[in-house]
Amino acid sequence: MHDPIYTALSGVSKLETHPGILSIYKYDFLAIPKRLLRFVKTPICVVQPKNDEEVVKILEISERFGIPVITRGTGTSGYGGCVPLERCIIVDMKNFNRVVIQDHTAVVESGAIWLDVESYANKFGKALRVYPTSATVSTVGGWIAQNGYGIGSLKFGSIGENVEWLEVADYNGIKLIKGDKLKYYIGAFGTTGIILRACIRLREATPIRSSTFECSFEEALRKIDGAYHANFKDRCHMKFERLGDGDVLLVSYEGEGESSELGEILWGRRLRPLKALTTDKIYSEAVVPYENAFEFYKKAKEISLGLEAIFASNCVIFLGLFGRNLKQYLKALKFVKIAENLGGGVYTTGMLFPHKNKAKRELKEYKNSVDPEGLLNPNKAFQNNAFSKIMKIGERFLWTV
Amino acid sequence: MDCIKCGLCNVCPVFKVEKLESASPRGKLILLSEIKRGAIKLDVRITKELYKCSVCGICSEVCPSNLDLVTFWENVREELVNKKIAPLPVHRKVRDITYREFNPYGGDQQKRAEWLNFSVGKSRTLYFAGCTASFKAQNIAKATANSLRNLGVEFTVMGAQEFCCGSPFLRTGQKDIAKMLFTKNIKTWQREGIEEIITSCPGCYKTIKEDYPKFAEESKIEFNLEVKHVSTVFAEEIKKTGSIDLIATYHDPCHLGRHMGIYEAPRDVIRRSGIKLVEMERIREFSLCCGAGGGLRTQFKEIAIAIAEERIKEALATGTNVIITSCPFCEYNLSRVGGSRVRILDLSEIAEKIISP
Repeated sequence: MHDPIYTALSGVSKLETHPGILSIYKYDFLAIPKRLLRFVKTPICVVQPKNDEEVVKILEISERFGIPVITRGTGTSGYGGCVPLERCIIVDMKNFNRVVIQDHTAVVESGAIWLDVESYANKFGKALRVYPTSATVSTVGGWIAQNGYGIGSLKFGSIGENVEWLEVADYNGIKLIKGDKLKYYIGAFGTTGIILRACIRLREATPIRSSTFECSFEEALRKIDGAYHANFKDRCHMKFERLGDGDVLLVSYEGEGESSELGEILWGRRLRPLKALTTDKIYSEAVVPYENAFEFYKKAKEISLGLEAIFASNCVIFLGLFGRNLKQYLKALKFVKIAENLGGGVYTTGMLFPHKNKAKRELKEYKNSVDPEGLLNPNKAFQNNAFSKIMKIGERFLWTV
Repeated sequence: MDCIKCGLCNVCPVFKVEKLESASPRGKLILLSEIKRGAIKLDVRITKELYKCSVCGICSEVCPSNLDLVTFWENVREELVNKKIAPLPVHRKVRDITYREFNPYGGDQQKRAEWLNFSVGKSRTLYFAGCTASFKAQNIAKATANSLRNLGVEFTVMGAQEFCCGSPFLRTGQKDIAKMLFTKNIKTWQREGIEEIITSCPGCYKTIKEDYPKFAEESKIEFNLEVKHVSTVFAEEIKKTGSIDLIATYHDPCHLGRHMGIYEAPRDVIRRSGIKLVEMERIREFSLCCGAGGGLRTQFKEIAIAIAEERIKEALATGTNVIITSCPFCEYNLSRVGGSRVRILDLSEIAEKIISP
C-alpha cells in the first residue's frame, strides 16, 4: 500500500519500515491510557535524514503523496508532541548533531543532545545558558519546539528567550527565521516547519556554586534573587531522593565560591529528574507568575501528592505529582486550572493542550501560509484533536475534585 | 516491566550508535509490551534488536523508576531461547564450540594454564583465570599469578579442569549450558577442597559470586565459597607504594563497577603505584561500556567496535593514551579497536610492577 512512498523515500534517506519497530514511534514520554491508544496511529515509516537536501526531498515526497510528517528528536517530552494521530512519515533528526561555537553563541543542529552541546561548548570556555533537566538525552530541536524551561531559567528565561535565529525547512524550502517570526516556531511543536538548526546564546563557563535551605515555599521566594538557578523540592520529593524529609530550596549561583554539601548533591543530580515518578503516577505542569506563585502553591498542595518548582526569570514552573486514576487525572487538570485562574497556564501545548494556546489564531494563519495542506505535525500545538477534546470534557468535571 | 517511557535510558551506548529507537532500552520495552498486548508479532528482526545490548546496565543506573533492567534483559533473552527463536547464529556457534571445548574460544583445554610460568601446589584458594585471560590475554593471567605469589597469597589453578564460568551464556539467555558449566566447575572445586576463589575477570566474578549460588540452590548443592575480584585483593594486600612514572586513565568494566559496585579498589591500586590518574568524562556508575559484553561483540561486532571507538576517544581526550582496566574482555576489545593509538594495561600488570621484588 505504501510502496510508492517507500520507493520515493528509499533513494533519499535511511528508511525504516518494519511494522514492529514503527510501533515504538507511536510513543513519547506521555502516558497514554490503553483505551485511548486507538486514537494513535502507527507511522508509515521512519526516515533519518543526514543533511538539509534530504529533509527538503522528504518534504517534497510528503507534499506529493499528501502524507503528513512529524519531526522527532528523542521523544522525551510528556505532551505527545511527536505522537502520530494520522498515518505519517516520522522525520527522526538524530543525524543532525553538529555544533559550531562562535563568540557568544552556538549554532547547533536540531538533533544534537543538550549535554553534548554543553560538553563541546565547555571546551571553548563557554556554557549553555539554559538546558533541560533531561539534557543527557533530549535534543535541541525538541526543547525549542516546546519552548521549555530548565536549568538556568531563573537568570536566562526559557530556551525561546535564548534563540537568536532558526533555520527551518518547509514546503517552500529552507529559510532563516529571526526576530518576531521566531514566535511561529518556538513552542509550535514542528507544526510550521522542521527546525534544522538554531543559533543559541551562551554564557561564560563560570563555575556554579550551590546552597540549600530547609524552608517553606514562601521563604524560598525571598531567597532566589541574583541566582542562576533555583529549584524547590517539597518533602515528598526529598523523600524519593532519599535526602531528607523536609522542604528544600536549591539555589545555584555563577562564580567561584563554596557549595554546601546538600547543595552539591542536588546540583549534581540536576540531570537526574523524575525520581518521584513511578508507573502509578503522573506529573502535571503549570506556569504561574511570581505575584501569585505562593497562592498557587497553597492551593496546589491541597490536591497534589507532591510539588516541585523551578524558578524562571518571570514565572515559576510547578510540577505536581498525581496518581493514575480518573479522579487523580481530574486533579492534574485542576492543577492547570488553578494556574489559569491565577494568571498562569499550561507549561506547553503539544497534543494535550492545543486549545489553551494563547496565540492560536495567529499560528493558524501563519500555518496556512507555510503549510496550506496541513501536513506538518497535524493536530498539535494549536489544532484540536481527540486527546485535547477529552481534556476539554474533563475540564467540565473539575468541580467534582 | 513498569517503564514510564521517560527515555532517560537513551544514554544507552548501543542506541547512540544505532540511532534507531528499537536499539534503546525504552524502545525494547515498548516492543515487548506491544508484543504482549498482541499489537505486533515477535520475529527474527525484533529478536535481533532485543540482542543489540551489551547488558552494561547504564539503563538501570539512570532509570528514575529504579528498574532492574540487567536481570530483565537476561530473562527476556532466556525466554527467547526457550521459545527457540534464539540464540542468534554467532551465539549458537559459540555455544557449539563450548559444548565441545568447554571454552568459547575453542582453545585446547589441555593448554589452558600454559601461561603459568611457575608451579603451584594444592591450596584452598583458587585463581580462576577465566577463558579470555587463559587463551587471549595471557599477560593478565601471568601478571595476576605473579602478583599473588609475590604478595604471599597461596593459591592453586585448575588448568585443564577449569571450565568456562558460563557468563557469555547467562548474558545471552542460554541458561542450560551455563548450568552444565557450573556443574563441571563446582564438582572440580568440591573435589579439590576449594574454599576461596580469586578471579581477574569481572564476568567470571559476577557469575561465580551471584549466579552460581542460585544454580547451587536450584541443584540443592551447598555453596559457601568466598569469591573475590583480584582488584580487591590487590587493594587489601599491597602495602608498598610504587613509583611508576606514567599518566593513565582508568576504564571501569561494567561487570565490576555497575554490576558489582567495585569502583574504588582499582583506583586505590593505581594511586599507590605512583601513576597519575586522570579520569575520563564518564566514570564509575556512569562509565561508558567498552562495547564487548552481553554477546554484543560476538554477534554485532560493528556496534561493539563503534562503542569502543567512542571510549577510546574519551580516554584520549584526557591527554593520555594509557588506559588501565581490570577486565580481560575490556582489554581485548579496547586494544583491538585502539590499535597503536592506545596502550591498554590490566590492573594486574600495574600490581606486578608495584610489588616486584
